Amino acid sequence: MNTSKTAQRLTRILAMLPWVIGHPGATVDEVCDRFGYHRKDLLADLDLVFVCGLPGYGPGDLMEAYVEDEEVIVDMADYFSRPLRLSPAEALGLLASGMALVSTNQAPPALERAVEKLARVVLPDAGDVLAVDLAAEPGLLDVLRIGAHEHRVIEMVYTSLGRGETKTRSIEPWSVFSALGNWYVSGYCRTAQAERVFRVDRIQQVRVTDEGFDPPAEPPPPIVRYTPSEDDVYATILLRTRAKWVAEYYPVEILSDDDSGMTVRFAASDAAVAARLLVRLGADAELLEGDAVRHETVGLRARILARYER
Amino acid sequence: MRKVIERLLNLLAFLLTSERPVTADEIRRTVAGYDQSSDEAFRRMFERDKDLLRQMGIPVEWQATDPWEVEFGYMIPADAYEMPDPGLTDEERAALWLAAQVVRLGGQPSGPEAVLKLGGSPMPGGGEPLAAELGLAADLLGFVFQAISERRAMHFAYRDKHRRLEPYGLVHQRGHWYVVGREMAANAVRSFRLDRATEVEIGDETGSFDRPRGFSAKDVLPRRPWEAGPADLEADVRFDASVAWWARRQIPVDAATREEANGDLLARIRVAHQDAFIGWIITFEADAEVLGPDELRQAVVARVRGVA
Repeated sequence: MNTSKTAQRLTRILAMLPWVIGHPGATVDEVCDRFGYHRKDLLADLDLVFVCGLPGYGPGDLMEAYVEDEEVIVDMADYFSRPLRLSPAEALGLLASGMALVSTNQAPPALERAVEKLARVVLPDAGDVLAVDLAAEPGLLDVLRIGAHEHRVIEMVYTSLGRGETKTRSIEPWSVFSALGNWYVSGYCRTAQAERVFRVDRIQQVRVTDEGFDPPAEPPPPIVRYTPSEDDVYATILLRTRAKWVAEYYPVEILSDDDSGMTVRFAASDAAVAARLLVRLGADAELLEGDAVRHETVGLRARILARYER
Repeated sequence: MRKVIERLLNLLAFLLTSERPVTADEIRRTVAGYDQSSDEAFRRMFERDKDLLRQMGIPVEWQATDPWEVEFGYMIPADAYEMPDPGLTDEERAALWLAAQVVRLGGQPSGPEAVLKLGGSPMPGGGEPLAAELGLAADLLGFVFQAISERRAMHFAYRDKHRRLEPYGLVHQRGHWYVVGREMAANAVRSFRLDRATEVEIGDETGSFDRPRGFSAKDVLPRRPWEAGPADLEADVRFDASVAWWARRQIPVDAATREEANGDLLARIRVAHQDAFIGWIITFEADAEVLGPDELRQAVVARVRGVA
């Protein structure tokens, strides 16, 4: 959007001016490095500042901004000598990002200090009003991160979510990411000989090996989404009022929704996933269609009840 | 774009130095770039510029120019334009910059502009393999955050009902953002998932309520779904050795546990929400068993039978 490009450029100018004014002798390279400028863009912005100032717009009213012997000089611009306030969205964005990383124990001490200092000026009287929790099981994230960062193969004991099957797997980790409240590691699974995404909390044990690998030039973006496959099982389920939350958590297709309940078409990579959900919902849901899921649900009910009846 | 930025720099310089509200007419006559031929063209240009400045976080305020409030004009109070210096070191700014790139809000990095405003930072080197997506977009969150930090009331639609809230805090937990505050109609502290709130508006009056002393956002929401509710039970559960590792990760660290010789885990867990607890226990299928109290055990059986 055009407006926001303008806002970005103006923000950078209004951020750069106070810093240059406060750091006499700053060089072109320093300013470029700090504010992410290409040299020619910095020179263009300085030229632009040079023709602006106060009404009258004569030599005594305009700001001075130029480069001399590689030094950036800004003068007659006292009104732009103070740093700009963060917008609420910017303040929130920085604080939330900082707190998110701090909660993982993967952040340097400098980040923790920065978050504290920033919170003090953004929220002078507010205390603990913001909390971001992305915590993961200790000892897993750091190992995965080292593997992904140093391109080293990892070996892990992983229990799948669907069947609960436990296997030792050899993975080339590409990225470690958090989405929808869970941490994931994506990469190439040598054991399955395919690209895979694994949930970090289902890793029982992990270690980095000494073996290296070549990461893909462009790893897929760190997102989780349901990808339909030929092996998927389907079920049509009636969700009574108290079970309607299911439609927000699972990728379902809503077939109808009225006072008696919501009818959804549920897809899963494994019938066990749908069966577990149905048993969990008890009388709040009813399976209308889906033989594989029905078979699995009957089996699961029987297994649990057998345990309670012995 | 160059003309627009020149005009905005001139406008800012003028408003920051005028020390009094100035009328739109005076701006049009005085500030370079606003000498438009028609009233309509000036008005549109000036509205656009004000919006852009507000989008950047620069407040252009509308105030009376005289004590009788006959005429109104614009000003930018210095304390609203500037930010007190947080005293960040370069190392701390670089850490924030990296965090802002690693963590995303609504699919977007949380914004290099913010770090520039804090004094910029050389780009920290080295590709970071870590990424996190916090879900909602910064715009909505910033809006709610503003209501919280300026103590303004807010209202929104939630589950087909209109709610008015004194917002105390903002929490991201288990993948969702919640706003926590006093719901005025119920006079009770409640939390609302922000992705389910629509038509969110915040009130004009700042400082319109007091946050309870010692309020701490992180203590408001339960870490586990079965920890909020009216019940007060202690469940004794046996987790089979094969799932003990998975149970240990999910129960509170201070829960009383005992490991048996065969690897089974016995745990005593506080339950405040019985339904949520039973739902969770069933995710262990036949590998966990509620041993007591008996009524809870019966409730699990009833749920599995599909009669409750």
